[in-house]
Amino acid sequence: MRFCIYLRYLIYTSALASKEKEFAQLIKDNQGLIIKVSRLYTNSLEDEEDLFQEIVLQLWRSYDSFKGNSKISTWMYRVALNTAITLFRKKSKSLPTNELDINHRDFVEDDDDKQQQISLLYTVIKTLPNVERAIVMMYLDDLPYKDIAENLGITEVNARVKMNRLKKTLKEQMEKYA
Amino acid sequence: MPEFDLDSFKKTWQEQPVQQKYDHSAILEMLNRKSRNYVKYILWISVVEFIFFSVLGLFYILQGKESNSFISILEKLGARKTTELEGSLDNIYVVLKVLSLSITAYFVYKFYQNYKKIKIEENLKKLILKIIQFKKTVNAFILINIILLISFTSIFTLFIFYVLNTQNIEVTNSTLTGFIIGTIISTAVAVLLIWLYYKIVYGIIMRKLDKNLRQLKEIESQEF
Repeated sequence: MRFCIYLRYLIYTSALASKEKEFAQLIKDNQGLIIKVSRLYTNSLEDEEDLFQEIVLQLWRSYDSFKGNSKISTWMYRVALNTAITLFRKKSKSLPTNELDINHRDFVEDDDDKQQQISLLYTVIKTLPNVERAIVMMYLDDLPYKDIAENLGITEVNARVKMNRLKKTLKEQMEKYA
Repeated sequence: MPEFDLDSFKKTWQEQPVQQKYDHSAILEMLNRKSRNYVKYILWISVVEFIFFSVLGLFYILQGKESNSFISILEKLGARKTTELEGSLDNIYVVLKVLSLSITAYFVYKFYQNYKKIKIEENLKKLILKIIQFKKTVNAFILINIILLISFTSIFTLFIFYVLNTQNIEVTNSTLTGFIIGTIISTAVAVLLIWLYYKIVYGIIMRKLDKNLRQLKEIESQEF
């Protein structure tokens, strides 16, 4: 009897360990997405790391429900954006949203032109409200409008209309602060 | 800077060098860390609130001191303590306590049910609406508690007048005014404190959710 319990325990722990390994590999391969979301929704390195961890935790908790039910990217975007927009409790106070802080740390380590542009784009996107930031990020990562709309719970037409307006806003801001 | 075009910038964005910050062991370590999120925060605070209200109710049932303190108020107003009076007071207490505990039990069930409905992998709008629904269960519980508090106070005040009337006791105007004002003020202060507590505890999270929901609704209302 005891042996049976012990055997079950062993099977359970080894299954859990292999599931954890599989999950860690998945996160390692896709951490760029989580890093981008964490960077877009925080204003300090400490918050950025905390948000990364919170997203990983939420992904782990929903890992069973994901398996086979949807595309990896759809599941990851949903969980990452939902966590950043709705669940995450920041430690530090956020910056005022309508001011462009061009001295922001995003600029500090960058040396070449492309990097500077990416950093400026991050800073400009961060001035947008939470939901709009999500639309822009998914658009830049080439998600189809159908997926963008489904992830947010809006219609495809609304996502398209909003993105067209956002393109103009971003263009103006980028040219203004370049 | 040359003219900026978001579509031509997509490639640069997608190829941005994102540092591979975390390795296998760092990711596995994260799985054992504590989650720091608003839903968990609402859950624990609400659990403490449910326990507080339930324990308070049970405490009074087990102690049974309420009726004595209520009789002492009646005696101060000049009423006589009779077995009939104690009997009817006990009956009122039993009804009110059963009612109050049944309401708490129902809300604990609803609260848990709505908590289980929150799924992080749903779309943003559904997630926000479900968190708001979850929070509404707590709101309704608090509202019912405030209504119960006012109803209990009113029932006992009416009962006092009924006893005074049946025992043919005339109360001086100043005592009566003092009693009524005292009851109203203490009830109002209790309601105000409860309201203030909820504004402070849930204010930030509800503001954040409402703001995000407003943004989604605004996007939905935009036309070509």
